[in-house]
Amino acid sequence: MKWSRFSGALPLVLMTLLIVAVGTFATVRQDAFLTSFNLNNLLLLAMPLALVSLGQTCALLVGGFDVSVAALMTFCVVVASYTMTYETSGWALLPGGLVLVAVGLGTGIFNAVLIRVLKLPSIIATLGTLSILEGASLLLRDHPEGPISSDAVSGLTKSVSFVPIAFIAVVVLAVAGDVWLYRTRTGLATRAVGLDETSSRRLGMATGRIVFFAFVACSVMASLAGLYLAAQVQIGSPILDIGFSLESIACAVLGGAALSGGKGSFVGTLLAALFLSLFDNILPLFHQPTEYSQITIGVLILLALVLYSAPDLLARFRTSRAGVGRLRSAEGDAAG
Amino acid sequence: MSTSGLARGGNVVSPASPVLTLRGVSKAFGAVQALREVSVDCRAGEIHALVGENGSGKSTLLGIASGFLVPDEGTVVVGETERRRVSPAESRRLGLGIAYQTYSHVLHLTVAENLYLAAPSDLRPTYGRMNGWAADRLGAFDLDISPTALAGTLSLAERQLLEVVKALLAEPKVLLLDEPTTALGPEDVDRLHALVHERSRAGVGVLYVSHRLPEVLGIADRISVLRDGVGQGTFEAASMSEESLVALMIGRPLQLAFPQRHEREAGREVLLAVSGLRGDRFGPIDLEVTSGEIVGIAGAEGNGQAQFLRALAGAERSTGTATCDGKELDSSSPLGPLRAGVVLLSGDRASESLFPVLSVRANATIQVLRRLGRLGFVNRRRERRTVDGLVKRLSIRTASIEQPVQTLSGGNQQKVSLTRPFQRGDVRVILAEEPTQGVDVASRFDIYGALREKAKEGVATIIKSSDPLELAGLCDRVVVMSRGQIVDEIPGDELGERRIVEAIVGSRAGARERAAESPEEST
Repeated sequence: MKWSRFSGALPLVLMTLLIVAVGTFATVRQDAFLTSFNLNNLLLLAMPLALVSLGQTCALLVGGFDVSVAALMTFCVVVASYTMTYETSGWALLPGGLVLVAVGLGTGIFNAVLIRVLKLPSIIATLGTLSILEGASLLLRDHPEGPISSDAVSGLTKSVSFVPIAFIAVVVLAVAGDVWLYRTRTGLATRAVGLDETSSRRLGMATGRIVFFAFVACSVMASLAGLYLAAQVQIGSPILDIGFSLESIACAVLGGAALSGGKGSFVGTLLAALFLSLFDNILPLFHQPTEYSQITIGVLILLALVLYSAPDLLARFRTSRAGVGRLRSAEGDAAG
Repeated sequence: MSTSGLARGGNVVSPASPVLTLRGVSKAFGAVQALREVSVDCRAGEIHALVGENGSGKSTLLGIASGFLVPDEGTVVVGETERRRVSPAESRRLGLGIAYQTYSHVLHLTVAENLYLAAPSDLRPTYGRMNGWAADRLGAFDLDISPTALAGTLSLAERQLLEVVKALLAEPKVLLLDEPTTALGPEDVDRLHALVHERSRAGVGVLYVSHRLPEVLGIADRISVLRDGVGQGTFEAASMSEESLVALMIGRPLQLAFPQRHEREAGREVLLAVSGLRGDRFGPIDLEVTSGEIVGIAGAEGNGQAQFLRALAGAERSTGTATCDGKELDSSSPLGPLRAGVVLLSGDRASESLFPVLSVRANATIQVLRRLGRLGFVNRRRERRTVDGLVKRLSIRTASIEQPVQTLSGGNQQKVSLTRPFQRGDVRVILAEEPTQGVDVASRFDIYGALREKAKEGVATIIKSSDPLELAGLCDRVVVMSRGQIVDEIPGDELGERRIVEAIVGSRAGARERAAESPEEST
């Protein structure tokens, strides 16, 4: 128990330490880092990744992946160039924003039907969705055009001192998510479904519904991420070369999610997203090429995975020596 | 069982209303008809046992009763509600509790979390009080398990008892227990039975599935027998004996032509020697098999037989030693045993031994391609000649050797996997796991013949089978496993279907007799 509790908090501690360490280093070495302009910019740039990663965490919790999120974000940017055009302003922007959320909802339901009703593996199903959305984006805009309402941009990036209001909302969302996940029955049920679907169904849980909602939540979060991406690029570009699908999975994993499902933390994911954004932010300050950031992220993910699984590996080693552990070859339900 | 007399006195079978009725239930898994129009009812306050051999459909029937499986035909009535299809959650609301044979624990969650998920909403405390509440529930059943322990760290016996506690959590009106004693020692069995009696006196209808006839006769009021997915009737327990139940369970008059056992000269060398082998769900096991001998492993499903074979073949982890022809086997991966000539014929043909989409030819030669070619290129003509010969020799019924094996019948698929030991000249030991499961009768005898033929060439063979008739007809000797250990050994001259079934169903009694070193056993 001690081990498992430790392994649960490990990602949060590690991510916090890394943020503090890199932040301190940057503060000491570069005057330009700790300015409210830079911090505001950093937090705003982190928004798309933070939002999509929180969504991805939902999919990972139930034991799936959603690789279509990046394409959905691009599609949302393209759609925004129609629904939130340069001429629209003020409250007239609201329907345009809601269209994006509706796109996310529709994509989520589409993915969830593929996965739950047609029983496709989530990675294959969302790969198909990815391709469809990429094509749809190019159909709507074959080259970047259609500036996005500057009113929308300033609304989305509104800040209190240097902290964007949206960022505060994301923090609240992540904390609420973890409280839900670790302090309520439905949160427990969601983790149980990710850990062992057969047992969960036997225990009488609505496994299908839980997986369904997780994928819908993932896509809706991705569409919100798309909204913030639109505020960043400010033009309807169908060819944003963005690695959000893999980066969002990386953030969820760095934040403590297990690829096999049932484990994860929304706060951890948010911290990981912040850390990756921080890294991207300081490299130019030190006149270092951004390629280093990619390499560093890769190395970090590998190190983190080994570190996080160490307690589990130790425990498994111990139990297998004691002769317990679940039967590998399932003695199926067909046996009499 | 000491408690049985007491219970039956207070629990005379009354025409009480049924709390659970299964009417004309049928279910097929692919080509296998698991249940055929089975009807069973369980009355309030009775303990109704369901017995049958492995694969007779007991667990399938319980799965349908609980709503985990959907029947192809027939209806389920829980209490007053008649349904064709219920979800597990719904049947729990209707007052049905079930302890699954393979459990319903989420192993990475704590005991308390597992209990919490199993509890219906009106009996759940607030989330924060979960641990105290769970300790309370466990205490009520005298279970000494920490609520904060991960379910995966519990022993198998603890998991089994926790499964029963979960089934009883919602105060069900019908209690379904699927083999609830496989991992339990004698004391825990008695405790569990006392608990079951207590519930039935309180008016709960209990459907008790077990293959252990002494336990069943000790606890049940009525007994229903299943054979090959067909109901054989329901009987008052008082009117039944172990013999009459066994007769109903096997009930096959069919005497089949097994291959002639060959004479083995006395004192033949020990080819495979296992000592102190233990692993997940079995051990320690000591066993010696001589060259040319076919040894059968009998036992109720889930008593470690499959794990033992798989561990020997390096497909599962184990400790202890096994030697083949005097050399120690490296069982850390399947490669070591394969190199030493130990071949496993997996019971899970489709996913473990064959490549269903590849042709008969490719499946037959995949392990020996190097020998069929030169400089890394396969000589197709030579390959075809080899495979053609084997297809004839094993009577594999296939349109052509290029046909994908998934289009063949189960029996012919199994014969394709049998071609492999025939091509390798260096096979010393064959480990066959359910070699004739899902295999038609004609193919069965081709397979028996093939195994016997290899034995004549000096190969040592271990066969794990849930079919006692097959073991009796094919083997030179049969060992019986229970709870992961060898508890009985039946020499060749005593081999008979009835003798094996009796050893399985009474394996606890047999173990005690062996411990008391009395070689004579009453049959």
